[in-house]
Amino acid sequence: MNSSSTLYKKKGPLAVFLIPAFAFLILYLYYPFLQNIVNSFSDITGLGTPAQGLNDPWWSNYAELFRDPHLRTALINTVLLTVCTVVFQVGIALILALLVDSIRVGAQAFRTLYFFPIVISATALGLMFNLIFLFNGGMLNQLLMNLGLISKNIDWKDADHFLPTMLTPVMWQYVGFYFVILVTGLNNISQDLYEAAALDGCVGLAKVRYITLPLLRNVLCTCLVLAITGALKVFDLPWVMFGAGMPQNRGWLTGTYMYHQTFNRGNVDYGSTIAMLIVVLGVVLSNVANRVFKPRNDL
Amino acid sequence: MKQKKVLALLLAAVMLMGLLAGCGGTSGGSGSGSSGSSAPSSGGQDAGKPAAVELNVVTSYGGDDGHRKDYENAVKGYEEATGNKILDASATSNEEWKAKVLTDFETGTEPDVLFFFTNADAEPIVKAGKVVDIASIRAEYPDYGSNMRDSMLAVASDGKNYAVPSSGFWENMFVNTKVLADCGVAVPGPDYTWDQFLTDCQAIKDKGYTPIACSLFEVPHYWFEFCVMNNGTLANQLDLPASADDAAGQKWVAALNDIKDLYEKGFFPANTLTATDAETVQLFGDGEAAFLIDGSWKVTHFVDNYPEHLEEFAISYVPAKGERKASEAIGGISMGYFITKKAWDDPAKREAAVQFVEHMTSDEVMSTFVTTEVTALKNGASPSGLNALQQSAADANANITGVVGAVQDTVSSECKTDLFGNVQNVVTGAMTAEDAVNSAIALN
Repeated sequence: MNSSSTLYKKKGPLAVFLIPAFAFLILYLYYPFLQNIVNSFSDITGLGTPAQGLNDPWWSNYAELFRDPHLRTALINTVLLTVCTVVFQVGIALILALLVDSIRVGAQAFRTLYFFPIVISATALGLMFNLIFLFNGGMLNQLLMNLGLISKNIDWKDADHFLPTMLTPVMWQYVGFYFVILVTGLNNISQDLYEAAALDGCVGLAKVRYITLPLLRNVLCTCLVLAITGALKVFDLPWVMFGAGMPQNRGWLTGTYMYHQTFNRGNVDYGSTIAMLIVVLGVVLSNVANRVFKPRNDL
Repeated sequence: MKQKKVLALLLAAVMLMGLLAGCGGTSGGSGSGSSGSSAPSSGGQDAGKPAAVELNVVTSYGGDDGHRKDYENAVKGYEEATGNKILDASATSNEEWKAKVLTDFETGTEPDVLFFFTNADAEPIVKAGKVVDIASIRAEYPDYGSNMRDSMLAVASDGKNYAVPSSGFWENMFVNTKVLADCGVAVPGPDYTWDQFLTDCQAIKDKGYTPIACSLFEVPHYWFEFCVMNNGTLANQLDLPASADDAAGQKWVAALNDIKDLYEKGFFPANTLTATDAETVQLFGDGEAAFLIDGSWKVTHFVDNYPEHLEEFAISYVPAKGERKASEAIGGISMGYFITKKAWDDPAKREAAVQFVEHMTSDEVMSTFVTTEVTALKNGASPSGLNALQQSAADANANITGVVGAVQDTVSSECKTDLFGNVQNVVTGAMTAEDAVNSAIALN
């Protein structure tokens, strides 16, 4: 007892443990972040090219944020993605969790099945969905054609169809993630409550409405905060499927647009500015989400 | 307890070492993970022989490049002949790869020998004095690159030659002869006109095929290059506009409007604005499209993927209008081997680097890379065993009356990305051709 308290009184070992992690954070997070702020004010015309001094005026990239129509499109699409994430990812996950929780046999199998897409890399998923939505010989077009629902191939990535084509795989991929969290939350609800409610005649949907959802509130709040902040970071799957703003610059997300400006166009300073916008947007939205969906301790 | 403390300290030390391991690399290699320093081979060296040298080499013969095998064989030949070791960090060429190579030079982790573009892309490393010019190398090694025609060496902005050229490229029209035959359309000859092309496209479309396999989303530059040439001449192909209103600008505007005309006539695939290059090339390969403008590298693609159907493909001529002849094409030598200043200044590596470049650009090795491409070899390449498609390309090249480089290679990355990104807006009427040209030129 005595010796263990000595360990905590001595700060030396504490520092030895903390310094590596702190050094890692400084090297790979704080330093690049600060450098990114400097870059956003500088004139950099290509990756690996040194800055040619500051922009003239130095805030020109930030002014461009307000004028750039593609960035406006990216912001609108990102907000739309966030809303869809909340409604569909968490919504579908909740329905699936409630259904799986109500069955006695095969619940574990469903858990595994629904969680499975999470472990597949987004790039592989993007390639897979590309084949599903392919114009010539794609799975979806073939299916609809064989069912007699369409007479000619549909371009699922054109201006009329790109949004559901882009959002569906993203929704699909993470439903299992929230499903597992919600199922775990459901398992923590005491069966005694359900039995007591059943004695009072509360069964079926009423049981869900008056017992399950109120007791699941904190878990749902956590899911919603995770979903909102996660949606802001979506990049890989839409990039693999849609590349540079397909179709006709209508398919940008903030992440894909930043990547395009930096790596494809070599406009590194403007890409850094968009990265700053994404950080600010992430901090603001996650704070708002944390306040709106604040977990309650009385549950 | 003391044991626990020791264990804790040990664990922390291991963590710290692990973190700092990535920071301690030396300056060699481009992702190869090698120290890059010259080192004797692992024993067995005779006392009289010079020590074996490790050379860091970066080329674009990585990934699924059609010449990867030839490159590997050539490297193996060099290693066996000299006892030196090549630490290869080759990758597939694209804009990201170019940026990575330039970043390596910026951060002092450049390779010893680089196979890279000789156009504007190489200017940053030339201006920074990071590569050695051929004249300086020849002062010590007079035979360096002597099997190449000096007139075909790329000239940098300072007037000097830096790269020993490798195989070149051509861009021309691939045709699916089976589709053409089914539509009653003759395989185009060197006198093919734009008007005849439009008539043929309509006939092909009426028959239910896609006339032109092209992704305007991903690779509109092939058609842009030839349409610019169709609205000018071979001589002024590389003139850059200052705005959409000057002569060169008007050429570019007319070129974009020609592409728009083809789009409006429905000659491109229905999904040309959302398809990838791979999808439209497959359309052509599968016998669902008739015409495809692409480069000499695509021959390898068809040889690898359609070995049973090579007789159904042929290399033809891009239709001409105005002063241009259909027998004039895009082509040249855009890449070559550079020796970096770092390797040149290292007495242990200098000779090895020179030997490596001389080996890779020797007549014998070059003949394994060149089938139908342009070459700077004084003696020409002597490829053997051409297949049907390669023979078709060789036949078409024999009729070529003029070759010029691609104008897109003379503008900045941001300029061409903007221009080609706006092709889809021009053809759909979301933007005028004039605005697209002005937007791109402002970024050059």
